[in-house]
Amino acid sequence: MNRIETDVIIIGGGATGAGTARDLSMRGLRCVLIEKNDIASGTTGRNHGLLHSGARYAVKDHESAHECMRENKTLRKIAWHCIEDTGGLFVTLPEDDPGYHRLLLEGCRYAGIPAKEISIRKALQLEPNLNPGILSAMTVPDGTIDPFRLTSSNMLDAKERGAIILTHTRVSSILKEGSKVSGVSCITKNGDVIEVMAPVIINAAGVWGQEVCAMADIKLPMFPSKGSMLIIDYRINGVVVNRCRPPADGDIIVPGDTVSLIGTTSKEIPYDKIDDYTIDDDEIDILLSDGEKLIPNVKNTRALRAYCGVRPLVAVSGEAEGRNISRGIVLIDHKERDGLDGLITISGGKLMTYRLMAEKTSDLACKKLGVKKKCKTHKVPLPGSESRFSSGRTVKRFSGIPDSVVGSTFYRHGQRLRNIMTGEKKNYRLICECEMVTEGEIEYAIKKLDVKDLVDLRRRTRIGMGPCQGELCAYRGAGLFHEYGGTTPEGSVELLHDFLEERWKGIRPVLWGDGLRESEFTYWIYQGLFGLSHVNNKKKKKG
Amino acid sequence: MIYDCVIIGGGLAGLTCGIRCAEEGLRTVIISGGMNSLHFSSGSIDLAGFTENGSVVKKPFEYIKGTAAKKKEHPYTRVGIPTIRKSLDFFKEKIFFEGITLNHNSDYNHFHVTAIGAVKPTYLSQESVFSSRGKDIIKSGAKIAILNFKGFRDYYPEQTAANLKQHPLFKNSELILGDISLPYYLHTEKNLHEFRSTDIARIFETERYLPRIADEIKRAAGDADAVSLPAFIGINNYREIRGKLEAMTGKFIYEIPTLPPSILGLRIDHAVKNSFFKHGGEYIAGKKIESSVITKGIVESIITGSRGTSSEIKAKYYVLASGSFFSGGLQSGVSSISEPVFDLKVKGDSKRSKWYSWNFFDKKSHPFLSYGVETDSSLNPSTQDGKTVKNLFCAGSVLAGYNPVKEGCGGGVAISTGYKCAERIIREIKK
Repeated sequence: MNRIETDVIIIGGGATGAGTARDLSMRGLRCVLIEKNDIASGTTGRNHGLLHSGARYAVKDHESAHECMRENKTLRKIAWHCIEDTGGLFVTLPEDDPGYHRLLLEGCRYAGIPAKEISIRKALQLEPNLNPGILSAMTVPDGTIDPFRLTSSNMLDAKERGAIILTHTRVSSILKEGSKVSGVSCITKNGDVIEVMAPVIINAAGVWGQEVCAMADIKLPMFPSKGSMLIIDYRINGVVVNRCRPPADGDIIVPGDTVSLIGTTSKEIPYDKIDDYTIDDDEIDILLSDGEKLIPNVKNTRALRAYCGVRPLVAVSGEAEGRNISRGIVLIDHKERDGLDGLITISGGKLMTYRLMAEKTSDLACKKLGVKKKCKTHKVPLPGSESRFSSGRTVKRFSGIPDSVVGSTFYRHGQRLRNIMTGEKKNYRLICECEMVTEGEIEYAIKKLDVKDLVDLRRRTRIGMGPCQGELCAYRGAGLFHEYGGTTPEGSVELLHDFLEERWKGIRPVLWGDGLRESEFTYWIYQGLFGLSHVNNKKKKKG
Repeated sequence: MIYDCVIIGGGLAGLTCGIRCAEEGLRTVIISGGMNSLHFSSGSIDLAGFTENGSVVKKPFEYIKGTAAKKKEHPYTRVGIPTIRKSLDFFKEKIFFEGITLNHNSDYNHFHVTAIGAVKPTYLSQESVFSSRGKDIIKSGAKIAILNFKGFRDYYPEQTAANLKQHPLFKNSELILGDISLPYYLHTEKNLHEFRSTDIARIFETERYLPRIADEIKRAAGDADAVSLPAFIGINNYREIRGKLEAMTGKFIYEIPTLPPSILGLRIDHAVKNSFFKHGGEYIAGKKIESSVITKGIVESIITGSRGTSSEIKAKYYVLASGSFFSGGLQSGVSSISEPVFDLKVKGDSKRSKWYSWNFFDKKSHPFLSYGVETDSSLNPSTQDGKTVKNLFCAGSVLAGYNPVKEGCGGGVAISTGYKCAERIIREIKK
């Protein structure tokens, strides 16, 4: 059994956990982050990737709106390589209450969000695909943010500052000494047991935080609320389009990378269903029909996949329902709440406020440890965003390599491009042609970014996220996974199997039209041509 | 002008049908939308590979005979064993004249090795995949070198070796790995590491490179008796290239199909097309059929179109061999399955959640793969109102009632139904 001594244990590798690891490392503390799956594999990676201006909350929740706007400005500075400054629109449809427009403008002004009313003509110029029948429009400083890149960058920075990251490792018990926590015992994917000892444990497990607390015999009821989203092939809008009405299902279309995304539904689910990411047909119908109202072109596009995330809403008091529960930040010192010293829970909030949540949590952890260092995460840029220079100039530096290849890598990894675009010509070849992922990028991810399987690799590089959903690149990725020492050859075929099964989960709910054609082709290749499930693998036969 | 026979779809089914019709002197035209599925097939013809519960079929004809009685809707039941046999013999003979030899293991299935090292049953294979010599080499437990073209991104031989080692067939074989490369090809403008199988096939087709390639193979394979390469030893004159390479290296050369484009499949595609042309067939590529006119159960004409222009094509008989969903022979809406050219009656559930299985590699496969056009026993379909269309026949994967991947029977069904349609038309015309 391995034993690690550290200052702080963080449970959960979402944006908040990664942000906390970074924050603490920057303050000179040693920390170990334990994640049962992969970083950003839970709620963090399952949202719509909106860089909120806060306008969505401006009418009902001024505090959240203000927080969003402040973090929006900060993230643009420290994480520009994860962000695209698309701008956002709020538009009123003929069937919506026209008075909400005014209400929203006022709310924005109050929260310090620079919302500006614009003419319908101007709105259509900004976003030509918009429904021309809208009644009013305003611009807000929305943008898009890639949650995978953001989390990965935080993690990379923490690691470079000495933090230990254990992904695919599950906490099995919380160790206590009297009324204080003393560490955790955890199990890796291979079944090895590791004991991590620390005086402070941060529960940043989001909606799974209820289980973490239960290990310390503490009750922390969560009210899981499921949000489903639909990804459509091709980027049909350049600007984030919001529907100007009180928060409801299907009221936003976010462009992101090469696709657009229609969000979101909100549905209460029982706690025992939080790991069952099933999307119902009626949710798909709602998203499609409401998306079509904002951008009529939605009906001509192909649905690429659907997915859902579970919001970590904590029931601080009494009963609560989906959209009405506060989405504010919940920071709990379990010494005060339950008399257990050293355990902190951070929950609620949203991707936008991850840094702020990490700051507050780190402040509390430092207080407990008697450390008097201040937070610097809002000032120091993340790896990849170190200094700002134009992608045009960067692309020029790599003559002989297609601009699109350099551009895509720069877009995803910012300045860390330098660590990727090196060496021989083989490193520049495209492995995933939809998303322009090169072999160099895959090598970098496998060696530097804690990638344990092909699904993790997808989160770091976007391999297999394009229109074909991994038709050819899944196989290549598996082959390279072995080549770069990530697994055995047999293991790489199993990873390929698991990757395609994982892709299928998102395709299944939208299996019609071109999506079905593509799936038929993928099935022909991997089952027909390769005989993936006919591989004579002893391990698989046992299972 | 009125054709004797218009075939919609230029895949294995349509081409087999076309060759047979053209051979009989019928005025035959094939209208094709684009590439066919041979471009991403193994290049072997599967007849019946797996039983209902997924175990391997040893003797395909016997198996078909046994299950035929149970499955009335299965295309094989419509065709019948004698015609299946006849169609395969016909097919083999036709492409033999175009430079492709297809071998079979008398009435038994044989195996072919896939890129990831799975071993799959099939019935007809090119000699680089199955031959009696190859069979003996594997049986004798010879040393086999599994080689790759250095930097080729569409094949990873380590996977082949690792999974083959666990297979009983290869338990006595020693498997080694190696790379071959052609240094002077590195000075190309194109990134060599992005070459596809077709690019490399062209290198093999260049006669003056062969001695160098042979030297490379000898170096990489050492004292191995047999060499496996990803399939790229030429498309058009492959029999000759392989013969020369075997003579120069003194080693048996085996081929493994890789990611598309599949060279093994391309060879078959070229061969059947050439055969069709030689028999006087007409081939229109890149056309989409937009609509059709059916009156009183008889197809009057079909309307083709591309880039805004459209034209009418008339024939005495029509064959629908337009493939399944991927090729556009079948269409799926949010909750409907349809056949777009003639709006024929199709078999398929109207509830989308019934189309698929929960897991991608589910043992039961996916129901949508066996959806398609319903026909009567002479392969005549019917329109939505239940009326049989008498001068229209259906062949290949547009047909309902079988799952080509799960049963391992795609090639066999395409060839035999295509042949059967041709026989029906020939009989009608000669009346």
